Amino acid sequence: MQFLEISKRYEQNVVFDHFSLDIPAQTILSVVGPSGEGKTTLLQMAAGLLEPDAGIIRKEASEEGSVSYLFQESRLLGSSTVYANVELALRRSHSSETQRRQITLHYLAMVGLSESLTLYPAQLSGGMRQRVAIARAFAHPANLMLLDEPFQSLDIKLKFSLVDAFLRLWEEQPRTTLFVTHDPKEALMLGDAVCCLGDPKKPLWYQQIDIPRNARNITDAKMLAWEATLVRTLVNA
Amino acid sequence: MQRVKRNLVLLISSLLLLLIWQVGSMMLDSQILLPGIPPVAQALRTLIAQPPFAHNLLSTALRALQSFLIIVISATVVGVLAGRFEYLSIALRPFVTTLKAIPVMSIILLAFIWFSSGTVPLFSAFLMGFPVMYVQIEMGVRQLDRNLDQMCTLYEFRPSDKLLHFIIPSMTSWFIAGSRTALSMVWKVVIAAEVLTVPRYGVGARMQLAQVQLQTDLVLSWTLIAVMLTALGDLLFDALVHLVAYLKRKIDARGVPCSS
Repeated sequence: MQFLEISKRYEQNVVFDHFSLDIPAQTILSVVGPSGEGKTTLLQMAAGLLEPDAGIIRKEASEEGSVSYLFQESRLLGSSTVYANVELALRRSHSSETQRRQITLHYLAMVGLSESLTLYPAQLSGGMRQRVAIARAFAHPANLMLLDEPFQSLDIKLKFSLVDAFLRLWEEQPRTTLFVTHDPKEALMLGDAVCCLGDPKKPLWYQQIDIPRNARNITDAKMLAWEATLVRTLVNA
Repeated sequence: MQRVKRNLVLLISSLLLLLIWQVGSMMLDSQILLPGIPPVAQALRTLIAQPPFAHNLLSTALRALQSFLIIVISATVVGVLAGRFEYLSIALRPFVTTLKAIPVMSIILLAFIWFSSGTVPLFSAFLMGFPVMYVQIEMGVRQLDRNLDQMCTLYEFRPSDKLLHFIIPSMTSWFIAGSRTALSMVWKVVIAAEVLTVPRYGVGARMQLAQVQLQTDLVLSWTLIAVMLTALGDLLFDALVHLVAYLKRKIDARGVPCSS
Protein backbone atom coordinates (compact mmCIF):
# COMPACT_ATOMS: atom_id res chain seq x y z
CA MET A 1 0.00 0.00 0.00
CA GLN A 2 1.26 3.47 -0.83
CA PHE A 3 0.31 6.91 0.38
CA LEU A 4 1.33 9.16 -2.48
CA GLU A 5 1.66 12.90 -1.92
CA ILE A 6 -1.32 13.00 0.42
CA SER A 7 -2.46 16.18 2.11
CA LYS A 8 -4.97 16.49 4.92
CA ARG A 9 -5.89 19.42 7.11
CA TYR A 10 -8.46 20.10 9.82
CA GLU A 11 -9.25 23.81 9.45
CA GLN A 12 -5.91 25.53 10.22
CA ASN A 13 -4.21 22.36 11.43
CA VAL A 14 -2.15 20.80 8.64
CA VAL A 15 -1.72 17.11 9.46
CA PHE A 16 -0.26 15.90 6.15
CA ASP A 17 1.29 17.99 3.41
CA HIS A 18 2.35 16.03 0.32
CA PHE A 19 3.25 13.14 2.58
CA SER A 20 4.35 9.82 1.07
CA LEU A 21 4.71 6.43 2.72
CA ASP A 22 5.23 2.95 1.33
CA ILE A 23 4.08 -0.21 3.12
CA PRO A 24 5.20 -3.41 1.37
CA ALA A 25 2.42 -6.02 1.02
CA GLN A 26 2.03 -8.49 3.87
CA THR A 27 4.27 -6.59 6.26
CA ILE A 28 3.60 -4.72 9.48
CA LEU A 29 4.38 -1.02 9.63
CA SER A 30 4.46 0.36 13.16
CA VAL A 31 3.42 4.00 13.31
CA VAL A 32 4.39 6.06 16.34
CA GLY A 33 4.17 9.77 16.96
CA PRO A 34 2.99 12.42 19.37
CA SER A 35 -0.76 12.87 19.87
CA GLY A 36 -2.53 14.88 17.19
CA GLU A 37 0.10 14.23 14.53
CA GLY A 38 -2.15 12.16 12.28
CA LYS A 39 -1.75 8.54 13.37
CA THR A 40 -5.47 7.85 13.52
CA THR A 41 -6.05 10.02 10.44
CA LEU A 42 -3.62 7.80 8.54
CA LEU A 43 -5.52 4.68 9.61
CA GLN A 44 -8.88 6.20 8.77
CA MET A 45 -7.67 7.19 5.32
CA ALA A 46 -6.35 3.65 4.79
CA ALA A 47 -9.76 2.29 5.86
CA GLY A 48 -11.59 4.65 3.51
CA LEU A 49 -13.36 6.36 6.41
CA LEU A 50 -11.62 9.63 5.55
CA GLU A 51 -10.66 11.03 2.17
CA PRO A 52 -7.35 12.89 1.78
CA ASP A 53 -7.71 16.50 0.58
CA ALA A 54 -5.12 15.75 -2.09
CA GLY A 55 -2.93 12.85 -3.17
CA ILE A 56 -3.83 9.21 -3.64
CA ILE A 57 -3.75 6.01 -1.66
CA ARG A 58 -2.73 3.12 -3.87
CA LYS A 59 -3.47 -0.41 -2.79
CA GLU A 60 -2.24 -3.59 -4.39
CA ALA A 61 -4.83 -5.99 -5.75
CA SER A 62 -4.31 -8.25 -2.74
CA GLU A 63 -5.10 -5.36 -0.38
CA GLU A 64 -8.33 -4.26 -2.03
CA GLY A 65 -11.73 -4.89 -0.50
CA SER A 66 -12.68 -4.85 3.11
CA VAL A 67 -10.43 -4.02 6.04
CA SER A 68 -10.11 -5.37 9.55
CA TYR A 69 -9.85 -2.69 12.18
CA LEU A 70 -8.68 -3.34 15.71
CA PHE A 71 -9.63 -0.44 17.92
CA GLN A 72 -8.36 0.84 21.26
CA GLU A 73 -11.55 -0.49 22.82
CA SER A 74 -12.83 -3.92 21.94
CA ARG A 75 -16.07 -2.58 20.39
CA LEU A 76 -18.06 -5.76 20.94
CA LEU A 77 -21.83 -6.03 20.75
CA GLY A 78 -22.95 -6.21 24.37
CA SER A 79 -26.03 -8.33 23.78
CA SER A 80 -24.32 -10.87 21.51
CA THR A 81 -22.31 -13.85 22.67
CA VAL A 82 -18.56 -14.18 22.11
CA TYR A 83 -19.31 -16.58 19.25
CA ALA A 84 -21.85 -14.27 17.60
CA ASN A 85 -19.52 -11.27 17.87
CA VAL A 86 -17.03 -13.02 15.61
CA GLU A 87 -19.49 -14.89 13.41
CA LEU A 88 -21.44 -11.74 12.50
CA ALA A 89 -18.36 -10.29 10.81
CA LEU A 90 -18.38 -13.24 8.39
CA ARG A 91 -22.01 -13.26 7.33
CA ARG A 92 -21.63 -11.11 4.25
CA SER A 93 -18.57 -12.92 2.94
CA HIS A 94 -19.51 -16.52 3.78
CA SER A 95 -23.00 -17.71 2.96
CA SER A 96 -22.35 -21.22 4.24
CA GLU A 97 -23.12 -21.53 7.93
CA THR A 98 -20.78 -24.53 8.29
CA GLN A 99 -17.92 -22.50 6.88
CA ARG A 100 -18.67 -19.58 9.18
CA ARG A 101 -18.80 -21.91 12.16
CA GLN A 102 -15.43 -23.48 11.28
CA ILE A 103 -13.72 -20.13 10.83
CA THR A 104 -15.20 -18.63 13.99
CA LEU A 105 -14.29 -21.63 16.13
CA HIS A 106 -10.78 -21.73 14.67
CA TYR A 107 -9.97 -18.12 15.48
CA LEU A 108 -11.59 -18.21 18.90
CA ALA A 109 -9.55 -21.32 19.67
CA MET A 110 -6.39 -19.52 18.50
CA VAL A 111 -6.97 -16.77 21.07
CA GLY A 112 -7.84 -19.30 23.77
CA LEU A 113 -11.55 -18.61 24.06
CA SER A 114 -13.04 -21.98 23.08
CA GLU A 115 -14.56 -22.33 26.52
CA SER A 116 -16.18 -18.91 26.51
CA LEU A 117 -18.34 -19.09 23.38
CA THR A 118 -21.67 -18.57 25.14
CA LEU A 119 -20.50 -15.73 27.37
CA TYR A 120 -21.47 -12.10 26.83
CA PRO A 121 -18.89 -9.26 26.77
CA ALA A 122 -19.95 -8.05 30.23
CA GLN A 123 -18.96 -11.45 31.61
CA LEU A 124 -15.41 -11.16 30.22
CA SER A 125 -12.31 -9.42 31.53
CA GLY A 126 -10.80 -6.54 29.52
CA GLY A 127 -8.11 -8.81 28.11
CA MET A 128 -10.62 -11.46 27.06
CA ARG A 129 -12.74 -8.85 25.34
CA GLN A 130 -9.73 -7.63 23.37
CA ARG A 131 -8.94 -11.23 22.41
CA VAL A 132 -12.46 -11.57 20.97
CA ALA A 133 -11.80 -8.40 18.99
CA ILE A 134 -8.51 -9.86 17.70
CA ALA A 135 -10.28 -13.09 16.67
CA ARG A 136 -12.94 -11.03 14.88
CA ALA A 137 -10.32 -8.95 13.07
CA PHE A 138 -8.57 -12.07 11.77
CA ALA A 139 -11.72 -14.02 11.00
CA HIS A 140 -12.99 -11.15 8.85
CA PRO A 141 -11.76 -11.82 5.33
CA ALA A 142 -9.70 -8.65 4.84
CA ASN A 143 -6.26 -8.27 3.35
CA LEU A 144 -5.58 -5.00 5.07
CA MET A 145 -5.38 -4.79 8.82
CA LEU A 146 -5.45 -1.56 10.80
CA LEU A 147 -4.58 -1.47 14.48
CA ASP A 148 -5.29 1.65 16.50
CA GLU A 149 -3.42 1.18 19.81
CA PRO A 150 -5.23 -2.06 20.61
CA PHE A 151 -2.85 -3.03 23.44
CA GLN A 152 -2.98 0.31 25.20
CA SER A 153 -4.02 0.55 28.85
CA LEU A 154 -3.42 -3.13 29.56
CA ASP A 155 -1.00 -4.46 32.13
CA ILE A 156 2.32 -5.74 30.81
CA LYS A 157 1.52 -9.45 31.24
CA LEU A 158 -1.79 -9.12 29.45
CA LYS A 159 -0.18 -7.00 26.76
CA PHE A 160 2.39 -9.70 26.04
CA SER A 161 -0.21 -12.43 25.89
CA LEU A 162 -2.32 -10.38 23.46
CA VAL A 163 0.67 -9.46 21.31
CA ASP A 164 1.56 -13.14 21.27
CA ALA A 165 -2.00 -14.09 20.24
CA PHE A 166 -1.91 -11.42 17.56
CA LEU A 167 1.43 -12.56 16.13
CA ARG A 168 0.39 -16.22 16.10
CA LEU A 169 -2.64 -15.33 14.00
CA TRP A 170 -0.69 -12.93 11.82
CA GLU A 171 2.06 -15.45 11.03
CA GLU A 172 -0.63 -17.95 10.03
CA GLN A 173 -1.99 -15.53 7.46
CA PRO A 174 0.17 -12.41 6.96
CA ARG A 175 -1.69 -9.30 5.84
CA THR A 176 -0.54 -5.78 5.16
CA THR A 177 -0.83 -4.14 8.58
CA LEU A 178 -0.66 -0.59 9.88
CA PHE A 179 -0.04 -0.66 13.61
CA VAL A 180 -0.45 2.59 15.51
CA THR A 181 1.04 2.68 18.98
CA HIS A 182 2.45 5.01 21.60
CA ASP A 183 4.87 2.43 22.91
CA PRO A 184 8.33 2.41 21.21
CA LYS A 185 9.06 -1.14 22.47
CA GLU A 186 5.82 -2.48 21.04
CA ALA A 187 6.52 -0.74 17.74
CA LEU A 188 9.99 -2.28 17.46
CA MET A 189 8.91 -5.77 18.52
CA LEU A 190 6.01 -6.02 16.09
CA GLY A 191 6.88 -3.96 13.02
CA ASP A 192 8.79 -4.95 9.89
CA ALA A 193 9.45 -1.23 9.78
CA VAL A 194 8.83 1.65 12.16
CA CYS A 195 7.71 5.11 11.10
CA CYS A 196 7.59 8.11 13.39
CA LEU A 197 5.13 10.89 12.47
CA GLY A 198 5.48 14.48 13.58
CA ASP A 199 6.29 16.40 10.39
CA PRO A 200 3.40 16.87 7.92
CA LYS A 201 5.76 16.52 4.94
CA LYS A 202 7.72 13.35 5.73
CA PRO A 203 8.27 10.76 8.47
CA LEU A 204 10.55 12.05 11.22
CA TRP A 205 12.17 8.66 11.39
CA TYR A 206 11.77 5.52 9.31
CA GLN A 207 13.60 2.32 10.10
CA GLN A 208 13.46 -1.16 8.60
CA ILE A 209 13.73 -3.77 11.37
CA ASP A 210 15.91 -6.41 9.75
CA ILE A 211 15.90 -8.84 12.68
CA PRO A 212 13.42 -11.75 12.26
CA ARG A 213 10.43 -11.17 14.49
CA ASN A 214 10.93 -14.32 16.56
CA ALA A 215 14.61 -13.52 17.12
CA ARG A 216 14.00 -10.03 18.48
CA ASN A 217 14.97 -9.25 22.00
CA ILE A 218 14.37 -5.83 23.48
CA THR A 219 17.66 -6.05 25.43
CA ASP A 220 19.61 -6.63 22.21
CA ALA A 221 22.08 -3.78 21.55
CA LYS A 222 20.68 -2.96 18.11
CA MET A 223 17.11 -2.89 19.39
CA LEU A 224 18.14 -0.73 22.34
CA ALA A 225 19.85 1.71 19.99
CA TRP A 226 16.74 1.95 17.79
CA GLU A 227 14.57 2.42 20.85
CA ALA A 228 16.83 5.23 22.09
CA THR A 229 16.70 6.96 18.69
CA LEU A 230 12.94 6.57 18.52
CA VAL A 231 12.44 7.94 22.03
CA ARG A 232 14.74 10.88 21.21
CA THR A 233 12.80 11.59 18.01
CA LEU A 234 9.52 11.48 19.90
CA VAL A 235 10.78 13.77 22.65
CA ASN A 236 12.10 16.29 20.14
CA ALA A 237 9.03 16.12 17.88
CA MET B 1 -30.49 -12.44 53.55
CA GLN B 2 -30.49 -9.02 51.94
CA ARG B 3 -33.65 -9.97 50.06
CA VAL B 4 -35.43 -11.14 53.21
CA LYS B 5 -34.51 -7.88 54.92
CA ARG B 6 -35.79 -5.86 52.01
CA ASN B 7 -39.09 -7.75 51.90
CA LEU B 8 -39.45 -7.32 55.63
CA VAL B 9 -39.00 -3.54 55.36
CA LEU B 10 -41.53 -3.52 52.52
CA LEU B 11 -44.03 -5.50 54.60
CA ILE B 12 -43.58 -3.30 57.66
CA SER B 13 -44.06 -0.10 55.66
CA SER B 14 -47.19 -1.54 53.99
CA LEU B 15 -48.61 -2.47 57.39
CA LEU B 16 -47.76 1.03 58.62
CA LEU B 17 -49.75 2.51 55.75
CA LEU B 18 -52.77 0.39 56.66
CA LEU B 19 -52.32 1.35 60.30
CA ILE B 20 -52.28 5.07 59.48
CA TRP B 21 -55.46 4.57 57.46
CA GLN B 22 -57.20 2.70 60.28
CA VAL B 23 -56.07 5.12 62.99
CA GLY B 24 -57.10 8.09 60.82
CA SER B 25 -60.51 6.55 60.29
CA MET B 26 -60.95 5.91 64.03
CA MET B 27 -59.92 9.46 64.88
CA LEU B 28 -62.23 11.05 62.31
CA ASP B 29 -64.98 8.60 63.27
CA SER B 30 -66.97 9.27 60.10
CA GLN B 31 -67.88 6.68 57.44
CA ILE B 32 -68.26 9.48 54.89
CA LEU B 33 -64.93 11.19 55.49
CA LEU B 34 -62.75 8.09 55.89
CA PRO B 35 -64.21 4.62 56.41
CA GLY B 36 -62.00 2.07 58.16
CA ILE B 37 -60.45 -1.02 56.67
CA PRO B 38 -63.22 -3.54 57.58
CA PRO B 39 -66.12 -1.65 55.88
CA VAL B 40 -63.97 -1.02 52.79
CA ALA B 41 -63.01 -4.70 52.66
CA GLN B 42 -66.71 -5.60 52.96
CA ALA B 43 -67.63 -3.14 50.18
CA LEU B 44 -64.85 -4.58 48.03
CA ARG B 45 -66.16 -8.13 48.51
CA THR B 46 -69.72 -7.07 47.57
CA LEU B 47 -68.39 -5.14 44.59
CA ILE B 48 -66.45 -8.09 43.23
CA ALA B 49 -69.44 -10.41 43.63
CA GLN B 50 -71.73 -8.17 41.54
CA PRO B 51 -72.01 -9.06 37.82
CA PRO B 52 -71.06 -5.68 36.23
CA PHE B 53 -67.74 -5.73 38.09
CA ALA B 54 -65.87 -7.70 35.41
CA HIS B 55 -67.42 -5.53 32.71
CA ASN B 56 -66.26 -2.33 34.41
CA LEU B 57 -62.81 -3.75 34.97
CA LEU B 58 -62.42 -5.06 31.44
CA SER B 59 -63.65 -1.81 29.88
CA THR B 60 -61.01 0.18 31.76
CA ALA B 61 -58.29 -2.40 31.11
CA LEU B 62 -59.18 -2.53 27.42
CA ARG B 63 -59.07 1.27 27.10
CA ALA B 64 -55.71 1.39 28.87
CA LEU B 65 -54.31 -1.44 26.74
CA GLN B 66 -55.57 0.12 23.53
CA SER B 67 -54.06 3.52 24.27
CA PHE B 68 -50.85 1.89 25.48
CA LEU B 69 -50.44 -0.04 22.25
CA ILE B 70 -51.22 3.02 20.14
CA ILE B 71 -48.64 5.01 22.16
CA VAL B 72 -45.96 2.30 21.86
CA ILE B 73 -46.35 1.89 18.12
CA SER B 74 -46.74 5.56 17.17
CA ALA B 75 -44.10 6.91 19.59
CA THR B 76 -41.61 4.29 18.43
CA VAL B 77 -42.11 5.13 14.76
CA VAL B 78 -42.08 8.91 15.26
CA GLY B 79 -39.26 8.73 17.85
CA VAL B 80 -37.02 6.72 15.53
CA LEU B 81 -37.68 9.15 12.67
CA ALA B 82 -37.05 12.18 14.89
CA GLY B 83 -33.86 10.59 16.21
CA ARG B 84 -32.63 10.09 12.66
CA PHE B 85 -33.78 13.39 11.16
CA GLU B 86 -32.93 16.41 13.25
CA TYR B 87 -35.32 18.76 11.42
CA LEU B 88 -38.27 16.52 12.22
CA SER B 89 -37.22 16.54 15.87
CA ILE B 90 -37.06 20.37 15.84
CA ALA B 91 -40.44 20.58 14.06
CA LEU B 92 -42.02 18.31 16.68
CA ARG B 93 -40.52 20.14 19.66
CA PRO B 94 -43.38 22.68 20.15
CA PHE B 95 -45.99 19.88 20.06
CA VAL B 96 -44.09 17.74 22.54
CA THR B 97 -43.35 20.65 24.89
CA THR B 98 -47.01 21.72 24.84
CA LEU B 99 -48.22 18.17 25.47
CA LYS B 100 -45.79 17.77 28.34
CA ALA B 101 -46.85 21.04 29.98
CA ILE B 102 -50.62 20.92 29.46
CA PRO B 103 -52.64 19.80 32.54
CA VAL B 104 -54.33 16.40 32.24
CA MET B 105 -57.70 17.88 33.13
CA SER B 106 -57.53 20.42 30.29
CA ILE B 107 -56.97 17.65 27.78
CA ILE B 108 -59.79 15.54 29.21
CA LEU B 109 -62.23 18.46 29.27
CA LEU B 110 -61.36 19.50 25.72
CA ALA B 111 -61.56 15.92 24.51
CA PHE B 112 -64.98 15.61 26.11
CA ILE B 113 -66.17 18.52 23.99
CA TRP B 114 -64.85 16.89 20.85
CA PHE B 115 -65.52 13.16 21.34
CA SER B 116 -67.97 10.68 22.84
CA SER B 117 -67.37 9.56 26.44
CA GLY B 118 -65.86 6.19 25.44
CA THR B 119 -63.21 7.78 23.22
CA VAL B 120 -62.13 10.50 25.67
CA PRO B 121 -60.03 8.20 27.95
CA LEU B 122 -58.31 6.72 24.90
CA PHE B 123 -57.53 10.07 23.36
CA SER B 124 -56.42 11.73 26.61
CA ALA B 125 -54.20 8.80 27.60
CA PHE B 126 -52.62 8.86 24.16
CA LEU B 127 -51.84 12.59 24.35
CA MET B 128 -50.37 12.25 27.84
CA GLY B 129 -48.38 9.07 27.26
CA PHE B 130 -47.08 9.74 23.77
CA PRO B 131 -44.50 12.45 24.67
CA VAL B 132 -43.03 10.31 27.47
CA MET B 133 -42.39 7.36 25.17
CA TYR B 134 -41.41 9.53 22.20
CA VAL B 135 -38.71 11.37 24.18
CA GLN B 136 -37.16 8.09 25.32
CA ILE B 137 -37.09 6.56 21.84
CA GLU B 138 -35.68 9.71 20.27
CA MET B 139 -32.98 9.82 22.94
CA GLY B 140 -32.23 6.14 22.39
CA VAL B 141 -31.65 6.70 18.69
CA ARG B 142 -29.45 9.72 19.37
CA GLN B 143 -27.41 7.84 21.96
CA LEU B 144 -26.63 4.91 19.66
CA ASP B 145 -22.94 4.14 20.06
CA ARG B 146 -21.16 5.77 17.09
CA ASN B 147 -18.12 3.55 17.66
CA LEU B 148 -20.18 0.39 17.35
CA ASP B 149 -21.91 1.83 14.32
CA GLN B 150 -18.51 2.37 12.72
CA MET B 151 -17.49 -1.16 13.67
CA CYS B 152 -20.60 -2.56 11.94
CA THR B 153 -19.69 -0.62 8.79
CA LEU B 154 -16.04 -1.71 8.78
CA TYR B 155 -16.90 -5.35 9.41
CA GLU B 156 -19.56 -5.16 6.70
CA PHE B 157 -22.54 -6.23 8.80
CA ARG B 158 -25.64 -6.98 6.76
CA PRO B 159 -28.37 -4.36 7.44
CA SER B 160 -30.63 -7.00 9.01
CA ASP B 161 -27.81 -8.15 11.34
CA LYS B 162 -27.01 -4.57 12.29
CA LEU B 163 -30.67 -3.97 13.15
CA LEU B 164 -31.05 -7.21 15.12
CA HIS B 165 -27.73 -7.30 16.92
CA PHE B 166 -26.84 -3.64 17.37
CA ILE B 167 -29.74 -1.22 16.96
CA ILE B 168 -32.58 -3.13 18.63
CA PRO B 169 -30.51 -4.27 21.65
CA SER B 170 -29.16 -0.73 22.10
CA MET B 171 -32.69 0.66 22.03
CA THR B 172 -34.19 -1.90 24.38
CA SER B 173 -33.46 -0.13 27.67
CA TRP B 174 -34.86 3.16 26.32
CA PHE B 175 -37.92 1.33 24.96
CA ILE B 176 -38.54 -0.42 28.29
CA ALA B 177 -38.08 2.79 30.31
CA GLY B 178 -40.42 4.71 27.99
CA SER B 179 -43.14 2.10 27.84
CA ARG B 180 -43.05 1.44 31.59
CA THR B 181 -43.58 5.15 32.36
CA ALA B 182 -46.22 5.44 29.63
CA LEU B 183 -48.07 2.41 30.99
CA SER B 184 -48.37 3.74 34.54
CA MET B 185 -49.43 7.12 33.17
CA VAL B 186 -52.06 5.53 30.93
CA TRP B 187 -53.89 3.87 33.86
CA LYS B 188 -54.11 7.15 35.77
CA VAL B 189 -55.30 9.21 32.80
CA VAL B 190 -57.83 6.61 31.62
CA ILE B 191 -59.42 6.42 35.08
CA ALA B 192 -59.36 10.21 35.50
CA ALA B 193 -61.04 10.62 32.10
CA GLU B 194 -63.66 8.02 33.05
CA VAL B 195 -64.38 9.96 36.26
CA LEU B 196 -65.06 13.12 34.29
CA THR B 197 -66.89 11.63 31.32
CA VAL B 198 -68.71 8.77 33.08
CA PRO B 199 -68.94 6.20 30.29
CA ARG B 200 -71.42 3.34 30.78
CA TYR B 201 -68.73 0.96 32.03
CA GLY B 202 -65.40 1.74 33.62
CA VAL B 203 -63.64 1.88 36.99
CA GLY B 204 -63.53 5.68 36.91
CA ALA B 205 -67.23 5.95 36.09
CA ARG B 206 -68.13 3.72 39.06
CA MET B 207 -65.85 5.79 41.27
CA GLN B 208 -67.64 8.96 40.21
CA LEU B 209 -71.10 7.47 40.84
CA ALA B 210 -70.04 6.26 44.29
CA GLN B 211 -68.65 9.71 45.10
CA VAL B 212 -71.91 11.44 44.05
CA GLN B 213 -73.80 9.11 46.39
CA LEU B 214 -71.25 9.80 49.16
CA GLN B 215 -70.34 6.08 49.32
CA THR B 216 -66.75 6.67 50.39
CA ASP B 217 -66.19 2.96 51.12
CA LEU B 218 -67.04 2.25 47.45
CA VAL B 219 -64.79 5.07 46.22
CA LEU B 220 -61.95 3.58 48.24
CA SER B 221 -62.77 0.06 46.99
CA TRP B 222 -62.60 1.19 43.38
CA THR B 223 -59.40 3.06 44.19
CA LEU B 224 -57.91 -0.14 45.58
CA ILE B 225 -58.95 -1.92 42.40
CA ALA B 226 -57.30 0.80 40.32
CA VAL B 227 -54.10 0.43 42.35
CA MET B 228 -54.18 -3.33 41.85
CA LEU B 229 -54.82 -2.93 38.11
CA THR B 230 -51.77 -0.67 37.81
CA ALA B 231 -49.66 -3.05 39.89
CA LEU B 232 -50.84 -6.02 37.83
CA GLY B 233 -50.05 -4.13 34.61
CA ASP B 234 -46.51 -3.37 35.87
CA LEU B 235 -46.09 -6.98 36.97
CA LEU B 236 -47.21 -8.34 33.59
CA PHE B 237 -44.94 -5.89 31.83
CA ASP B 238 -41.93 -6.94 33.92
CA ALA B 239 -42.79 -10.60 33.35
CA LEU B 240 -42.92 -9.95 29.60
CA VAL B 241 -39.52 -8.21 29.69
CA HIS B 242 -38.02 -11.14 31.61
CA LEU B 243 -39.58 -13.64 29.26
CA VAL B 244 -38.18 -11.88 26.20
CA ALA B 245 -34.71 -11.66 27.82
CA TYR B 246 -34.89 -15.36 28.73
CA LEU B 247 -35.96 -16.35 25.21
CA LYS B 248 -33.17 -14.26 23.72
CA ARG B 249 -30.57 -16.01 25.89
CA LYS B 250 -32.01 -19.39 24.84
CA ILE B 251 -31.88 -18.45 21.17
CA ASP B 252 -28.32 -17.10 21.59
CA ALA B 253 -27.18 -20.31 23.26
CA ARG B 254 -28.77 -22.37 20.50
CA GLY B 255 -26.80 -20.37 17.92
CA VAL B 256 -23.48 -21.31 19.53
CA PRO B 257 -22.07 -24.67 18.43
CA CYS B 258 -19.98 -26.99 20.57
CA SER B 259 -16.32 -26.01 20.32
CA SER B 260 -15.14 -29.63 20.22
